[in-house]
Amino acid sequence: MINSNAKTLLEVRDLTASVAGVEILKGINLTVRAGEVHAIMGPNGSGKSTFAKVLAGHPAYTVQGGAVLFEGRDLFALASDERARAGIFLGFQYPVEIPGVTNSAFLRLAYNTVQGGRGKDELDPLEFDDLVREKMKMLEMSPEFLSRSINDGFSGGEKKRNEILQMALLEPVLALLDETDSGLDIDALRVVAGGVNQLLTPDNACVLVTHYQRLLNYITPDYVHVMSAGRIIKSGNKALALELEERGYDWLLDAKKAAA
Amino acid sequence: MTVTASHPYVASLLAGSTAVPKSPAAWLDARRAAALERANALAVPTTRDEEWRFTDLTPLTKLQFQPVTAAAAVSAADIAMYAVTEAAARLVFVDGIHVPALSQRGALPAGITAELLADGLKTHGALIEPHLAQLASGESDLFTSLNTAFLQHGVFIHAAKNASLQAPIHLLFVATRKDTATYPRCLIISEAGSKCCVIEDYVALGDEPYLTNTVTEIAVAPNAALCHIKVQREGGQAFHIGNCAVTLAKDARYLAHAVTFGARLSRNNLTVIQQGEGAHAQIDGIALIGGRQLADTHTLMDHARPNGSCEQSHKTIVGGAGHAVFNGKVFVREGAQQTDSSQQSRNLLLSDKARVDTKPQLEIFADDVKCAHGATVGQLDAEHLFYLKSRGLPERQARNLLTYAFGAEIIDRIPVPSLVAQLERSVMARTEAGA
Amino acid sequence: MSTVLDNLVSQPYKHGFVTDIESETAPKGLNEDIIRMISAKKHEPEWLLEFRLKAYRHWLTMTEPQWPNVRYPKIDFQAISYYAAPKPKLKKSMDEVDPELLRTFEKLGVPMHERAALAGVAVDVIFDSVSVTTTYKEKLAEVGIIFGSISDAVRDHPDLVRQYMGSVVPAGDNYYAALNSAVFTDGSFCFIPKGVKCPMDLSTYFRINTQDSGQFERTLIIAEEGATVSYLEGCTAPKFDTNQLHAAVVELVALDDADIKYSTVQNWYAGDEHGVGGIYNFVTKRGLCKGRNSKISWTQVETGSAITWKYPSCILLGENSIGEFYSVALTNHRQQADTGTKMIHIGKNTRSTIISKGISAGHSNNSYRGLVKIGPRAEGARNFSQCDSMLIGAKCGANTFPYIQVQNPTAKVEHEATTSKIGEDQLFYFQSRGIPTEEAVSMIINGFCKDVFQQLPMEFAVEATKLLGLKLEGSVG
Repeated sequence: MINSNAKTLLEVRDLTASVAGVEILKGINLTVRAGEVHAIMGPNGSGKSTFAKVLAGHPAYTVQGGAVLFEGRDLFALASDERARAGIFLGFQYPVEIPGVTNSAFLRLAYNTVQGGRGKDELDPLEFDDLVREKMKMLEMSPEFLSRSINDGFSGGEKKRNEILQMALLEPVLALLDETDSGLDIDALRVVAGGVNQLLTPDNACVLVTHYQRLLNYITPDYVHVMSAGRIIKSGNKALALELEERGYDWLLDAKKAAA
Repeated sequence: MTVTASHPYVASLLAGSTAVPKSPAAWLDARRAAALERANALAVPTTRDEEWRFTDLTPLTKLQFQPVTAAAAVSAADIAMYAVTEAAARLVFVDGIHVPALSQRGALPAGITAELLADGLKTHGALIEPHLAQLASGESDLFTSLNTAFLQHGVFIHAAKNASLQAPIHLLFVATRKDTATYPRCLIISEAGSKCCVIEDYVALGDEPYLTNTVTEIAVAPNAALCHIKVQREGGQAFHIGNCAVTLAKDARYLAHAVTFGARLSRNNLTVIQQGEGAHAQIDGIALIGGRQLADTHTLMDHARPNGSCEQSHKTIVGGAGHAVFNGKVFVREGAQQTDSSQQSRNLLLSDKARVDTKPQLEIFADDVKCAHGATVGQLDAEHLFYLKSRGLPERQARNLLTYAFGAEIIDRIPVPSLVAQLERSVMARTEAGA
Repeated sequence: MSTVLDNLVSQPYKHGFVTDIESETAPKGLNEDIIRMISAKKHEPEWLLEFRLKAYRHWLTMTEPQWPNVRYPKIDFQAISYYAAPKPKLKKSMDEVDPELLRTFEKLGVPMHERAALAGVAVDVIFDSVSVTTTYKEKLAEVGIIFGSISDAVRDHPDLVRQYMGSVVPAGDNYYAALNSAVFTDGSFCFIPKGVKCPMDLSTYFRINTQDSGQFERTLIIAEEGATVSYLEGCTAPKFDTNQLHAAVVELVALDDADIKYSTVQNWYAGDEHGVGGIYNFVTKRGLCKGRNSKISWTQVETGSAITWKYPSCILLGENSIGEFYSVALTNHRQQADTGTKMIHIGKNTRSTIISKGISAGHSNNSYRGLVKIGPRAEGARNFSQCDSMLIGAKCGANTFPYIQVQNPTAKVEHEATTSKIGEDQLFYFQSRGIPTEEAVSMIINGFCKDVFQQLPMEFAVEATKLLGLKLEGSVG
């Protein structure tokens, strides 16, 4: 939902970043206001996942230049856990498996830490259990999820639901969903996308990183950006995604080459 | 070359090694001489050696074995039961010596060679030199050194770049004579992108003691795939010692199937080194033994480079007073990140006197890896047994069926249907006889 | 390894101080005269001197074991002092104990005064070669429990000691057990008579203080028919840049329906980050489930020592007897651990469980070595083993060497092993959900170890969790 008077949540200016000495992001500019859904598309290796990870503060990536303001604050002054408490949420493309730590213990600790960071009261285990079960219903998850270890032995679809469950609990201001649709069958995709739609409000925003247009049939983006070689080379609305679906990425890349 | 072994038994085995004629390559003669020196210096391992803890070679050292100088007369009918109908070529060795009349060289596709090592040395000398007696150097291994010292009647299999042969090449080693020692040797070189399948098959026509001491060396180049089947169905009084060394280059695939039915005492050593990134190995093994048989399998999966994977499954079915030994080591070197290696040792004991010693080991020096192993020793699943009985099968038949199924799971993965059929018949016959 | 993880695994040792107390120390070196001197000092009966001398003569014929997966320079057994005792001599009551000693143990958090003690834990405190005090001795005596130093037991209950000492770990069992049998100086003794459930946890606290002394204690625990006891053991040592040898022997005997639970938190000095100094911990611990339905359960949290070589084991002789081994072994820097267990199933329907969790960090090397042996007469024996390794950083090693030997077709043995890691990705996942690194590490480690921590008595569980925390948490960069 575009409302040009809405509050600016994220402002990215000439962001450059590298991993292991190789520059991946070569000058990204992006503004996200409250209530908006942005889709970032692009071929493999274009830097779109890197962009999401850099915003969340993944330690493997080094910010080289540029600035990012999140609700007016310098995002890079915050450690990654501080960013999470401030309201940034990264939905992982490949969530890690952590044997031995139960989902319920992890979710409660994350929830209470983030709530505490917002000056709100923590929930005791019983209250939390009620809350998490309600959220799990929305994602059609079975309660036995809670007693299993974090992502351990989960199918691809289960892992992604678990990511959205965490998003539902932590109620982020800005959700960055990295290839949330990859590895999902059509039913799981419908459930996951439905969960995301329910969580969108006029006060928060969502950036979807995706390779395929398919997810955008379920979550309607206000803006579509195409990334290539570490830059956003074209921005448009949902129609751009459909055009990409039909024509692939090559025509854009060629057009850009020709322009250069 | 002189024989001055420090160990009298080794000296007796080495008698005759000086009679081995000079090879076409000077470097090979030098390696043979070096192996003889090593063998001279080594002793027969004892159960005090960790690697031989459960396998006592004393019965072997009580026998005197002599090398063979001429093959016994064997007719095609004698070995008809071992025919693998799918085979594209068959090389037959009787008492270690090649018998052209029994062999079928077939019409192999371009780029695929299966010939005697002596011929290979003439045509592919430069290719063979870096591998032969190098992959399996036998630094401290007596049996490898002995084999190299006697190296003469070897096989050379070569798959040239991108050459492909679906049908297997069958190497049949037939033992016929009492108190002999044979030293089969195979070198398999799979070049980049090639694909082939080799069966090493050890059979006997008699039931008298003899020693088969075999060494196989395998190099699989980038993107090449090799299927390697070893069937050991030696005679009941035989001793079989096999060493196999495999090196895998980048993205190479090695699929091993080892079947152990025969021999009074057998030992299989398989060492696989992943020298290139992304190499994959699948190692299957099944030992079905009874009587007073001892079957010992040692494997080493050496993940030296990142992104390698290995799946290993070793099963034993032990009846009578049989004794199965398994020692499987998975070694992940520093820097071999993203290795994914699993190993299972499953053992079925069928009788009061049967015994299993298994030791799956992990040695891991890289943190970003997925390694798991498991071992079980036990009996048939009571639930499964009940299920079959509840459908009307008598106890004995139900047990045989489940025992058979336990072994068939490994055998069925061998991609040569006629061989699978032969082996399954053997398993059925043995399980019905109570293994 | 990232700096975050680097800082995380580099915590200073908190028990490394030396107590300035006058000691009586035997001259360095080992010979029959030294053994006679130790025996005379302790006013031992002739049979015990004979036991020592026999062990010593046997030891002379033995060689150090080479098979463990550990590397260290050859030990000069003549450069060690085999007896060190704080002066003045032992006092009868707590109020007479040297105040310097009291301060030492207070600093270590070990309660020597009964009034200051943890509720319901009786403590025997061993300082270098001697037991300095035992709390709650009288209260335990009321129900017939004998708990105190083994020296006292030799004096007061010689027949019991003579009957059981060496019955589980024979004097010539292995190189270090033989050495211990020759030169052991003190240790704890407990005897729980028939039908008695020990009303409190019994505990021994070991402290090495003297630089060039070895510690060779010997512990003997006997639970008669139907008796139960929970025993705890803790250990620390000062920081020295030389290595001290600790070669203990622990023997447990459980008769019919008896139940012994033995828990250890071992935090001997581990050496510095370059591997200088630290304790060589070469220990033989073995329990004999002699009676029907008896049970012996070992729980250990091993965080210290430069080198650990120990395999708390169970001989399951009695029908239906149960052996358990729960272990967490953490190695960091240049530490080396080769630890595990042996479960020897001899009797019918014997059962054993092995849960081992190895955590390796820095340049350390951590090996699990375990034997499950099912003898020909062990009808219906069962074993389950789970051996998991966790690696922190790419320079450490984690090894699993399970030996499974089965000679009975009705036995069922299952062994599983897995590896996991704490790396940047795991920590980032927690951080991205708002959880700080230190909490993330502690949660992952506790999750990894929880099957073992659950087995520890409450006070120890808290201590163990804290200890792993100290070793792994810290200044986050």
